Amino acid sequence: MQRKRKDWLDHVERPSLHQKIWTFIVVSALSGAAFANDSKSAAVKGGSSSSGFDSVVKPLMTRSCVPCHNASVASGSVNLVPFNKETTLAEHREAWDRILLKIRSGEMPPPGSPRPPQDKVDAVVEYLTGEFEKADRNIKPDPGRVTARRMNRNEYSNTIRDILGIDFRANEDFPTDDSGEGFDNIADVLSISPLLMEKYVAAAEKIAARAVGSIALPKPVKAVYEPNANNLQRINVGTIEADHRVDFDGDYDILVGMPGERGKDAKPVQLGFFVDGKLVHQVQVETKPSDLVYFSPFSDVTFRVPLPEGEHKLRVEFLNDDFIQTLDENEYYKSKVNKYPSTISITGPFPSKLEKASRKKIFICDPGTGNACVEKIVANLARRAYRRPVTPDETASLMKLVALAKSNGEDVEQGIQLALQGMLVSPNFLFRIERNADPKNPEKIHRINDFELASRLSYFIWSSTPDEELLKLAETGKLHEDQVLTAQVKRMLADSRSVALADNFAGQWLEIRNLDSIKPDPDKFLSWGPELRNAMKTETKMFIMHMLRENRPMSEFLNARYTFLNDRLAGFYGIDGVTGSEFRKVDLASDQRGGILTHASVLTVSSYPTRTSPTIRGQYILNNILGTPPPPPPPDVPALDASKVGSEVSLRKQLEEHRNNPVCASCHARMDVLGFALESYNGIGKWRTVDGKFPIDSSGVLPGGKKFETANEMKAVLLDQLPDFSRCVTEKMMVYALGRGLQLYDRPTINSIQVKLKENNYQFQDLVFEIVRSLPFHSRRGELLSSTNGNSKEIAHR
Amino acid sequence: MITRKALNRRTFLRGTGAAVALPFLDSMVPAMANAATKTERPVRMAFLYVPNGIDMRNWNPDYEGKLTHLPRILKPLENFKEHFNLVSNLTHNAGRALLDGAGDHGRCCAAYLTGVQPKKTMVDIKAGISFDQIVANKIGSQTRFKSLELAMEDARQAGDCDSGYSCAYTNNLAWRSETQPLPPIMNPRILFERLFGEDATLSPEARKRRNQYRLSVLDLVSADAKKLTGELGPSDKRKLDEYLSSIRDIELQIEKAEKDNSQIDPGLDKPYGIPADFADHFRLMTDMMTVAFRADLTRVMTFLMTREGTSRAYREIGIPDGHHPLTHHRNQEDLMEKVAQINTYHVQQFAAWLEKLQSIQEGDSTLLDNSMIVYGAGLSDGNRHLHEDLPTLIAGKGGNRFKTGRRIVYRRETPMCNMFLTMMDRMGAPADDFGDSTGRLEGLDLT
Repeated sequence: MQRKRKDWLDHVERPSLHQKIWTFIVVSALSGAAFANDSKSAAVKGGSSSSGFDSVVKPLMTRSCVPCHNASVASGSVNLVPFNKETTLAEHREAWDRILLKIRSGEMPPPGSPRPPQDKVDAVVEYLTGEFEKADRNIKPDPGRVTARRMNRNEYSNTIRDILGIDFRANEDFPTDDSGEGFDNIADVLSISPLLMEKYVAAAEKIAARAVGSIALPKPVKAVYEPNANNLQRINVGTIEADHRVDFDGDYDILVGMPGERGKDAKPVQLGFFVDGKLVHQVQVETKPSDLVYFSPFSDVTFRVPLPEGEHKLRVEFLNDDFIQTLDENEYYKSKVNKYPSTISITGPFPSKLEKASRKKIFICDPGTGNACVEKIVANLARRAYRRPVTPDETASLMKLVALAKSNGEDVEQGIQLALQGMLVSPNFLFRIERNADPKNPEKIHRINDFELASRLSYFIWSSTPDEELLKLAETGKLHEDQVLTAQVKRMLADSRSVALADNFAGQWLEIRNLDSIKPDPDKFLSWGPELRNAMKTETKMFIMHMLRENRPMSEFLNARYTFLNDRLAGFYGIDGVTGSEFRKVDLASDQRGGILTHASVLTVSSYPTRTSPTIRGQYILNNILGTPPPPPPPDVPALDASKVGSEVSLRKQLEEHRNNPVCASCHARMDVLGFALESYNGIGKWRTVDGKFPIDSSGVLPGGKKFETANEMKAVLLDQLPDFSRCVTEKMMVYALGRGLQLYDRPTINSIQVKLKENNYQFQDLVFEIVRSLPFHSRRGELLSSTNGNSKEIAHR
Repeated sequence: MITRKALNRRTFLRGTGAAVALPFLDSMVPAMANAATKTERPVRMAFLYVPNGIDMRNWNPDYEGKLTHLPRILKPLENFKEHFNLVSNLTHNAGRALLDGAGDHGRCCAAYLTGVQPKKTMVDIKAGISFDQIVANKIGSQTRFKSLELAMEDARQAGDCDSGYSCAYTNNLAWRSETQPLPPIMNPRILFERLFGEDATLSPEARKRRNQYRLSVLDLVSADAKKLTGELGPSDKRKLDEYLSSIRDIELQIEKAEKDNSQIDPGLDKPYGIPADFADHFRLMTDMMTVAFRADLTRVMTFLMTREGTSRAYREIGIPDGHHPLTHHRNQEDLMEKVAQINTYHVQQFAAWLEKLQSIQEGDSTLLDNSMIVYGAGLSDGNRHLHEDLPTLIAGKGGNRFKTGRRIVYRRETPMCNMFLTMMDRMGAPADDFGDSTGRLEGLDLT
């Protein structure tokens, strides 16, 4: 899965750029030595008709490829002379995949070179496709091996939430997880540094204390957020926000100050209080003049809410306030005309009257009744923390911590707290370790046990720990049974925790997470701001969840006639009739929008801070939709003649300039052209008809001759390649679900999933089911104790 | 031991009336700090890494020897030109493609302190132990923290980092082993809590008990890990080994703290949040780095200012374009100008830090004199991804051993690793060779 990140694009002068695969071709060609194939990869047989290669492939290669790709010319550093024997199909499969791709897509031979007759090309494509399918079927089934997986930050937070009911934000405290293959849950990449270990130790202490509720609250203090102090953000006339750090779980008094008054007959409004985007309190507020005497009209409202420790975004908003619509903008802040929220103060902590949810989860019996109960509590907690039954030995060593606390004169609750602290640092908690069924024969392929399966399911679908129901089914040994498994996956997808698939899987696959760090130029994009950014994120997230829960056909990723909007985003899109800040499903009347490629989120993360980049957007499509990442530019790309590029020429013209060079054209002819189709959307995804003084031209012709005039027609071209899209999503989701890179031996699995998806119109939820039922998900093998790490080979793309 | 703290901190903070209370007085130095009590001051080293190369036209002077007029990017260092050397023609061959194809950004960062060409992979990452960690392993037992890893830009959240190279290669500078990069801290609050503790309010007794509990917990979980290790294959075992060695590190930290139960007084208020402004963020980080050196909490720091390939924009100085796209300027003058401005802006911040280090007296010399602060990049020309003549500046006299104030031009293709060997000597962790070294870097010393 070789892809480049987008910043790598849009520059043409590049030395030493060279994709592995091309190096591979060149090196093997130059040395003349056949590279030893990965022993685990397919044992591809020569095939039945040795004449097929010689009669179909070889003549076309000799006539159309080799004249430019030989030892002395080696255009793009590719020498195809050695690829003249059928045996190379198996020996250099990855290279051949690449060659097939180039021929099939029409990228090669490039425009300007003589084209072979189409029927000859088709024959080559058909022959090669058939040979490769045959070869793939012969690959020995192998579920592969996943290294012990450390929880990443999201998984850690979710797990703590689900075991203990504690809101702990690992993202604020733990170092960022490294990612590989585009996802941050890849076992081999997730390591434990001393810094992270320090954080684990401190977090365990903190979480255990919060869960048991042994932290003494300090005296309440007050924090004030007001416009004068510069610590308050005004989102609009009816909405303000403040960032506030809560140091202790507890209840807090929120006071909202509201200057101004409305007319005598003014209706009250609903004031909503949101914590991190979630509405936690509503209260009705009078807006007509009060009888109280103020120098200037003012009122306030106070309410008490529980807040968990951590950094929070607090938001006060007048909900569905129709009165504002009747005002002129210059009347918003006139105290005799309007009332609006203006300050937030927070006073606390106060002890919560409610028993903490965490205590209910921990104290399943009264520890005062004696050791039997304490042991029960500890064993129960350890079972949840370790995601499996615990042995008497394990309970006994945790009980030693209880005893240690007691010997220090602390009470039994503090003892349990210390035992919990121990569990939260244990490798049994921090890692998901799968055991070999037969230690004498570690490489033996075996089904994982039901507890391991429960964890695989829950971390795949929820990014969290198995719940009681999954554990119980694992205990009865029924979880892996087909009907039970199906019912559980259904239940898990319906559960609110499955939103993790949108946040963590789709957030990385579609790069939506980058919206948090991307910083479009506010001078160029006036409407950009946190509000709009969050709306963009919500649209895509709700769309993904809809696709998933409603089991929509994957074609809707590209051409859905609906989306999810609130007033802010609808306004940005120029869509009428959407009022209020709540998101809802909206049917799309015009074809300006439809499908993820026209989501502002996607269009923003595939742009530069100051402008669009057709190259990046095209590459985004190749990477994330078609699954055919372009190779980086080869090393011999000449510099663009700077003098020809200037602000007097449109961006399109500038990019077309460098496609005059056939070496560039071979990739950019696809990439840029796909991107041009999206030029009707600016750098943050707003519809436009001109770019500066140049009218937008979103037409294009793809290699192979497919034409389009608009983004919509380009999407239709992509829809013709629905099987490619489905395969691309399948591969990404497999990587995410397994926590490892894909290997050659995964191809049969991917192929058979494609067959099944196709039967039912490529429905998205089906994909989750197919992955869960696949060999690599339910089975595994270990590695030989002597085998060395690091000789695995990445899967090559078609 | 705390009784030796001569000045009341509250008085001190009131006295300055500012959150940033540096430089602070000798008497504020915690009793535990060896630095304050010994006549022989320890040598410290730090690396500040700049991504995407530097505009070399405005970096290299057109002369050798004594530094006189400084090129544009180095101008902010005018007042310090007596205090650093500019070394030219150092190369990192391991950053080059060497048949591995594209990915110079990923490679140059991973190779920078390891001297090893990283394995081209998105998954099973492999480079080498970085030389700062060799030093840290050798001398780290003398300080509370073996080393500190810092950064100012968060790791990438989605997508890939460079042409088939895992993001781990561009997110990290220091490597503890060939498979284990050390993630840096970028949040000032987290750095503060790490250095000065989250528990300033704990009584000595409570702290002692906490440490006792922590050690017991660590005993228990090490036993868990050892039990597991026996049954696992090599890759799983490697993960557990990382786990165990990190546990061991923390045990040592606790033991050190037990022996010397004093709290470090940072002379700074605990910061919240990450400043959006580059200079503010840099100042917060370097303020704490200064205290960490000053109080001898550590002697080894690496600081990844921003990531290779970053598209951070510098609106602070009116540049809305991403840094990395700008460096691929294709020799367009307007883009090159912006790159030079960003490079200069970085050096301005660096100069402010040097000023702080220089203002702190340590006996007859200054903290800067007793340090080796390297400011450099893993690429020279970011447009063409060149790995030779890497821009490298080494400030401080390494404990009054270096003759500073010069530009030294080495033979072309002199390995960067040669400089590392020289630095390892000065840090008291000498080695015969490192990476592709061919010897020491001659000519830095006074004689």
